[in-house]
Amino acid sequence: MASVAIGSSEQYNYDIVRKFTIMALIWGAVGMLIGVFIASELAWPFLNFDFPYITFGRLRPVHTGAVIFGFGGSALFATSYYIVQRTCQTRLLSDGMASFTFWGWQAIIVLAALGDVLGYSQGREYAEMEWPVDLLIAVVWVTYAIIYIGTIMKRKESHIYVANWFYLAFILAVALLHIFNNLAIPVSLTKSYPLFSGAQDAMVQWWYGHNAVGFFLTAAFLGMMYYFVPKQAGRPIYSYRLSIVHFWALIFMYMWAGTHHLHWTAIPDWTSTLAATFSIMLLMPSWGGMINGIMTMSGAWDKLRTDPVLRFLIVSLSFYGMSTFEGPMMSLKDVNALSHYTDWTIGHVHSGALGWVAMISFGAIYHMVPRLWDTKMYSLKLINVHFWLATIGTLLYITAMWISGIMQGLMWRAYDDFGNLQYSFAETVAAMHPYYAMRALGGLVFLSGMILMLYNCFMTMSQAKGVASGDMAPQAA
Amino acid sequence: MSQGNTQSHNAKTTGHVWDGDLEECTNPLPNWWLWAFYFTIIFSITYWVMYPAWPVGKGFTTGTTTITYKNDKGVEKTTHWNTRALLMKDLQDAREKQKPYFDKVAATPYEQIAKDPQLNNFVASAGKVLFSDNCAACHMSGGQGKFAFAPNLVDDDWIYGGTYDKIQATITGGRHGIMPAKGGADLNDGEIESLANYVLSLSGNTMDAAKVQAGNDLFHGKGACFSCHGADGKGNQDIGAANLTDKIWLWTDVKAGGPADKNVAAVKATITSGLNKGVMPNWSDRLSADQIKLLTVYVHDVLGGGSKK
Repeated sequence: MASVAIGSSEQYNYDIVRKFTIMALIWGAVGMLIGVFIASELAWPFLNFDFPYITFGRLRPVHTGAVIFGFGGSALFATSYYIVQRTCQTRLLSDGMASFTFWGWQAIIVLAALGDVLGYSQGREYAEMEWPVDLLIAVVWVTYAIIYIGTIMKRKESHIYVANWFYLAFILAVALLHIFNNLAIPVSLTKSYPLFSGAQDAMVQWWYGHNAVGFFLTAAFLGMMYYFVPKQAGRPIYSYRLSIVHFWALIFMYMWAGTHHLHWTAIPDWTSTLAATFSIMLLMPSWGGMINGIMTMSGAWDKLRTDPVLRFLIVSLSFYGMSTFEGPMMSLKDVNALSHYTDWTIGHVHSGALGWVAMISFGAIYHMVPRLWDTKMYSLKLINVHFWLATIGTLLYITAMWISGIMQGLMWRAYDDFGNLQYSFAETVAAMHPYYAMRALGGLVFLSGMILMLYNCFMTMSQAKGVASGDMAPQAA
Repeated sequence: MSQGNTQSHNAKTTGHVWDGDLEECTNPLPNWWLWAFYFTIIFSITYWVMYPAWPVGKGFTTGTTTITYKNDKGVEKTTHWNTRALLMKDLQDAREKQKPYFDKVAATPYEQIAKDPQLNNFVASAGKVLFSDNCAACHMSGGQGKFAFAPNLVDDDWIYGGTYDKIQATITGGRHGIMPAKGGADLNDGEIESLANYVLSLSGNTMDAAKVQAGNDLFHGKGACFSCHGADGKGNQDIGAANLTDKIWLWTDVKAGGPADKNVAAVKATITSGLNKGVMPNWSDRLSADQIKLLTVYVHDVLGGGSKK
């Protein structure tokens, strides 16, 4: 994209940050568009058009891949490269390697989507990619780790800023999770069998799946939070001590909790108990990040009235706090007996994904774009409109899924006076229909905000045409 | 989280500054946060004491909570809390709750069950579950059946009979309907054409008179159709031969008022190739006699298609 010549004299490598930022915007719009389409398919099944390649089962992993790894992943690459350079006062270890992570990562997203649609899948949630793509991911990720650690090692600051701890934990944990969950024996270029089997395989998959949430979607985005909230608010982080304690507690607790995705299945009972209790103990470490972010606002609350970017950041923390409270509750066996397999889970995921991950990324990107292209945002008003669309869309979505999910769970377990099930499965599906329509509408509102952002950012970039290389000069926060 | 409750506005920072203006305050951990964290740890330890929790060697700590239940053989057992025992106990409780009703259904003659309002309600409730789990996959959730696959159980037309005894026999032993193929050696195409015209005329369709006459002769003569479907074409429920005089078709795509040539072609295809599709499995291996009796009443009275004679 941006045809900016990079002189080696430039203090920081912003070119790579700009590339990842642009792809985060594009994957965000694409992934959310697919999300709205598959939500509509569930509400109005004629949208399948009897065309197998666009049915829910195939497009759903395309949606999750595009939003988690395409949008979320690109946003994390962009922000981590931005933050590590600025807080270490040094340029990335290697421009070539950084460029390799960009093209490699984009190729992975495209290959994964093609595999999902054409039916080449390991059938592992969030790890559908077959082994050749898995190998590519491993190579890109190790390169990312080398760049990140190498950059920190040659820093010109004596201390490592807190945001970098979180990104480092994310990079190391994701490497570990990815490699162990995808241990498989290839039988052809497009097919492999996992090394583990049965309940053990399920537990490895959900050790991965849950920590993908824990390290990819939580720890890494907390890293984002620890940079952009104090920057945008112009206030110091509330408590250094809290950041240390909640960091280590979060990292330690998260690794144990994955099995709560398998409550009431054929796994040993003791694994369920450990997963539930570690999920409960995870509540306060998770909230540590929210407290530290929100309390950073002390003395600067008035800025929320005028700064829509800050509003994104702070509202994302509220959704983060809400969904990290909901998660431990849902991991208790008795609550899980009601919530498991219902739309409640989908609602919970989206209160985290839309409310936390997407909103904090929006805030971070709105903060970075004018600095990366050395200009002002095209329209502050559109950011404000985007904020309200995102908030209303998220609320509509999660409210619909709460009602639908809890109703579904209650209907499944409703007995009549004789101890027989009161509803057939088809009756529960029929009852959910209005909420499916409401969910699709919520998604559509959220998507329209994303498209506004895409427009606003591209207008900003085009008005900054000809941005010269070189440091973007220190900005006032 | 109101403003500035715990953070003093001129709080000290650690002294490090990153990227121009990033700083960190030295505020202590919020007390409520710390105590809430301790509480979740105490909660977890309590949980571990009460339930299976930590692996030890090849076993695990079983916890103090126990479950008492009767196993399949009626022997009472007490074990540490586990999901298997919990399920056994749930099933046992459900069985015990339903037993009086099942016993009453077993002891009551068919005709009396429908007249007892409480028993009738029980059949409607338990029958729906049994039907949904076992029958609905073919006969559909309301018993409406599926063309060319499974008969409608709600109408008054019965292939093997719709009395209590017949329905019970059908569920218990299953059914396998066969109609021999008449094409090839037995009848030529013209003869089958005539037969098809005759068969369609039986259910009130106006057909080619000459062909109907010829078909009539074949039906009662060379074709030997009458030996199963009866001289009047009304079928024979003892061997599952269909009634050809009503307008209900399960295997042959005859549409009332539809184009005559298509209807004729459909009937011809069935006569030519015969039928060997009507397989209903035997349920006596899977369902108890009480369950089959209850399902019989459900099909006969709740779905409402049962016949008296």
